[in-house]
Amino acid sequence: MAIRELKVCLLGDTGVGKSSIVCRFVQDHFDHNISPTIGASFLTKTVPCGNELHKFLIWDTAGQERFHSLAPMYYRGSAAAVIVYDITKLDSFQTLKKWVKELKEHGPEDIVVAIAGNKNDLGDIREVPMKEAKEFAESIAAIFIETSARNAVNVEELFQKISKQIPPLQNAEVESNDSFKLTRQPNPTTRRCC
Amino acid sequence: MRSRDSVPAANMAAEELPSDFDIVILGTGLAESVVAAACSRVGQRVLHLDRRSHYAANWASFTFNGLLTWIEEQKEESKPEKIEDWSSLVEEGEELIHLSNSDPASITNLQVFSYTSEEEEADEPNTIEEEKAAGEDAVKESSETESAGSKEEEDAGPAEEEEPAETEEEEPEADQPPTSPPSNQSEPVRKKISHAQLVKEGRRFNIDLVSKLLFSRGSLVDLLIKSNVSRYAEFKNVTRILTYRHGNIEQVPCSRADVFASRQLSVVEKRKLMRFLTSCMEETEEQTAYSGRPYSEFLRDQQLGESLQHFLLHSIAMVTEDTPTEEGLASTRHFLRCLGRYGNTPFLFPVYGLGEIPQCFCRMSAVFGGIYCLRHSVHCLIVDKDTNRCKAVIDSRGQRISCSHVVLEDSYLDADRKRTATPPRYLSRAVLITDASVLPSDPDQQISMVTVPPTTTGGPSVKMVELSSSTMTCIPGTYLVHLTCQSVGSAHEDLLPVVTRIFRTTEPQEEDRRPSVLWCLYFNMADGSALEVEGHRVPSNVYVCSGPDGALGHEHTIRQAESIFQKILPEEEFCPPAPNPEDIIYDGDNASPGEDRAAVENGGNQEENQEKEGNQEENQEKEGNQEENQEENQEKEGNQENQEKKGDQEENGVNQEPEE
Repeated sequence: MAIRELKVCLLGDTGVGKSSIVCRFVQDHFDHNISPTIGASFLTKTVPCGNELHKFLIWDTAGQERFHSLAPMYYRGSAAAVIVYDITKLDSFQTLKKWVKELKEHGPEDIVVAIAGNKNDLGDIREVPMKEAKEFAESIAAIFIETSARNAVNVEELFQKISKQIPPLQNAEVESNDSFKLTRQPNPTTRRCC
Repeated sequence: MRSRDSVPAANMAAEELPSDFDIVILGTGLAESVVAAACSRVGQRVLHLDRRSHYAANWASFTFNGLLTWIEEQKEESKPEKIEDWSSLVEEGEELIHLSNSDPASITNLQVFSYTSEEEEADEPNTIEEEKAAGEDAVKESSETESAGSKEEEDAGPAEEEEPAETEEEEPEADQPPTSPPSNQSEPVRKKISHAQLVKEGRRFNIDLVSKLLFSRGSLVDLLIKSNVSRYAEFKNVTRILTYRHGNIEQVPCSRADVFASRQLSVVEKRKLMRFLTSCMEETEEQTAYSGRPYSEFLRDQQLGESLQHFLLHSIAMVTEDTPTEEGLASTRHFLRCLGRYGNTPFLFPVYGLGEIPQCFCRMSAVFGGIYCLRHSVHCLIVDKDTNRCKAVIDSRGQRISCSHVVLEDSYLDADRKRTATPPRYLSRAVLITDASVLPSDPDQQISMVTVPPTTTGGPSVKMVELSSSTMTCIPGTYLVHLTCQSVGSAHEDLLPVVTRIFRTTEPQEEDRRPSVLWCLYFNMADGSALEVEGHRVPSNVYVCSGPDGALGHEHTIRQAESIFQKILPEEEFCPPAPNPEDIIYDGDNASPGEDRAAVENGGNQEENQEKEGNQEENQEKEGNQEENQEENQEKEGNQENQEKKGDQEENGVNQEPEE
C-alpha cells in the first residue's frame, strides 16, 4: 500500500487540549500534567484509508500560539488543520474565528479544516452548546466533532474524518516537482564535478 | 484538567511573560534564531522577542501585500522614541542601558515602481515612476541623520527632499500610487498580469528581503542536517548558472554533464575546461607562484580563452578582477566541491523563500521550550555596576525579566554603542516581478543564479537570482528576480543599469524579447559584515548579532551564531540532533505544573532525558553514517531512495525507544 504523508497542524488557544488529543491519538495515552510540547517536532501515526496508508505528521504549536506568535512556516504544506476549543470555555470557542481567519491567511488554499470541541467529558460545566459549534463549522465547511482526549472519545474518529476528506492523490504536480528534505547522507549523484 | 489552563486569546495581550529566563534574545533574524535553537536545545530557558509583527527581521519574506505594508512601515518608523522612566524598577548598584526601538538605519533609499497600469496609455507608468523616484528616496533617511543616513544621502542623488519626516508623514503620494492605496488608478489590461492580480494573488508570493543561496556543502546546510531542523523545510536545487556577457544571458557549464552538453563551447574549450577544473582541485606549484597576484591573471595565463575565463572568474569563483589567486582558487574549489551533492549546481533554495530558515530555527527553539512573543519590545537592559553584567531587561510594559545572558540584533543598540566598519557598508537590493525568464527554456520552472560582472569599470558586480513559481515564491506566469550588490551609490543607481539592460521597463517594441518588469522595489540594507565581532560598548554577557551580509552563502551568520553560543555555553554541544518524532515520549508523570514557570522548568528536565537519548542516538547514527557512506560510494542511489533511507532510520528509531 502506498504511504502518503499528510501534515496536520493543530490550532487553538493554549490549554484547550491540543497536545492531549495528539497524545491520545498517537500513543493512546492521557496525562493530566503533560507539558507536552517540549521536544516534539511533530508526532506521527499511520492509519489505513481505502487503498492508501495515511501517515499523519501532526505538528503541535510548540507554545508559539500563546503570545500569538505562530510562524507562517507552521502552516506550510498542511493537508489538514484541526482547530481545537474547550467546550467548557466560551472564550476558546469565540476565538475559533480568529484561528480560522489566521488559517485562511497563512494556510494552504485547499486545506481540510476540522473543528474539535474537546473535553466533552466535562459536559456538566459545558459553556459551548454543541449546536452552535456545529452550525459554525458547517458555515465554513469544516468537519465538526466533539472529543474527549481524556476518555478517548472520538479522537480516532476525528482523524478518520480527516482521512476521508483528503482528496485522492492526483498527478501531484506540486508535490512531485522535486523539492526535497535535506537528510543526513545526501545522495551522491553519478555526476562529479570533473 | 491541566492546571495551567487556558488564557483566552481575547486576553492574550494581557498575559504576562514569565519573569525569569536564562537567555533573553531580541530579534528573530537568522543568527539570533540559531542561537535560540541551540540554547533551548541544551536545556536553557529562552525568551525570544521581536518588536516587529513578523519573524526573521531583515531576513524576512513577505507576501506581496505584506511587502507593501512593510514598505509603508519603513517610512513611518521615524517617530521619536519616548523614553519612559523605569527608575522605579532599578535597584541599588544597577544602571540602565536604553535600547533602540526602531531600526531607522538598516533600510534606506526605498523606491517602488509599478509598470502595470490601468489605462491603455502606454507611457503612463513610466512617467509616474520617474517623478516618484525623485521625491522618494527620502523615505527613509529622515529619522536619524547619523552614520547611515548621512552616508546614504550623498549617494542618493535625487533625494534632497528628505526632511524630518515625522512632520510630514504624508510623502505626497510619492511612491504610493501603485502600491497600497487601494489601487485607485493603476489596473490595466495592457500586460497579462495586472497590479490588481498581483494584489489579489498576493499571498502566493514569498518575497525575501535578503537574497542568498545555500551552498550544498556550506555551513548552513550542515547545521540544518546536524540539528534536524532540516525536517521543517524543503529545498530545491538551483537548476542553472547563467551569466551576462556581451549583452546576452548565457548558461555557464559547470558540471561534467553541462560541459559535455554545452553547445556554446568548442571541443577544444571543453577539454581545456575539464582539464582546468580537475587540476585546480589540487594545489600546484604553479598556483603558488601566483599567490598574491590576481586570479584573473592566473586564468589569463592558462590559455583558456576569453569565454572560459569569464565563466571561471565571474560565475564559478564569483570573484572580481583583482581578487588574489589563492582566494579565487579557494572559491573555485568550494564551488566544485558543492556540485553534485544534490544537483547539477552547487546551490539550494528553500521552498517558500529564505525567510523560512530563521522560522525553522525558532520552531526548534519553541519545541524545546523557548517562549516566543512578537510585537514585544524591550526598553532597557539593567546592568550591575560592579560586575558590568546585564541582570535583567525591562520590557515595554515595565516588566522586569531577569536573565543571565542577552543576545540582540544590532539594531537594538544605539549607534554609539556599536563598533562598525567605517565608512559604513551597505548592500544594494532590487526585487523585480517579471513576466518571463531571462533565458526561456523548455521546462520553464528553472531556478537560476545569474552573475553580472561590473557593467562599468569600478562598478559593482551584481548577483541575480531568478525564481520561478515552483519555489512557491511567486505566482505562475511570473518570475521573482532578486538583485544584490555591494553599494556604491543608492540601490537604484547601482542596479538600474543592470535592470534596464536585461529587462524591459518600457512599452514592448517589436523584436524586444526581454522580460517585462511588472513591479519592482529598490532599497539599501546595512551590510551585516560591517559590524565588528568585538568591541561593542555592552555588558560582558550581552552579545550582538548582525543582519544579513552581502555574500551569497550563510557562512558569516552561522559562524557568528556558533561563536555566540560557545561564549554563552562553552561546555555544551552546538545544536545536537533533535530526537526523531517517533522517539518522543510524553512523560508527565512527575510533573507538577501549577503554573507556567513550572511547566517550563519541568520541560527543561524532561529535555535532559531526551538529550541523553539524543546523544545515544547520535552515536548510533554516526556509526550508521559511516556504513552508509561506504555504501554510498558503491551504490550511488538517487534522491528518492535516500529519503526512504531516512524513513528506515526513523523506524529504527522506534525500536530504540527506551521506555513508555
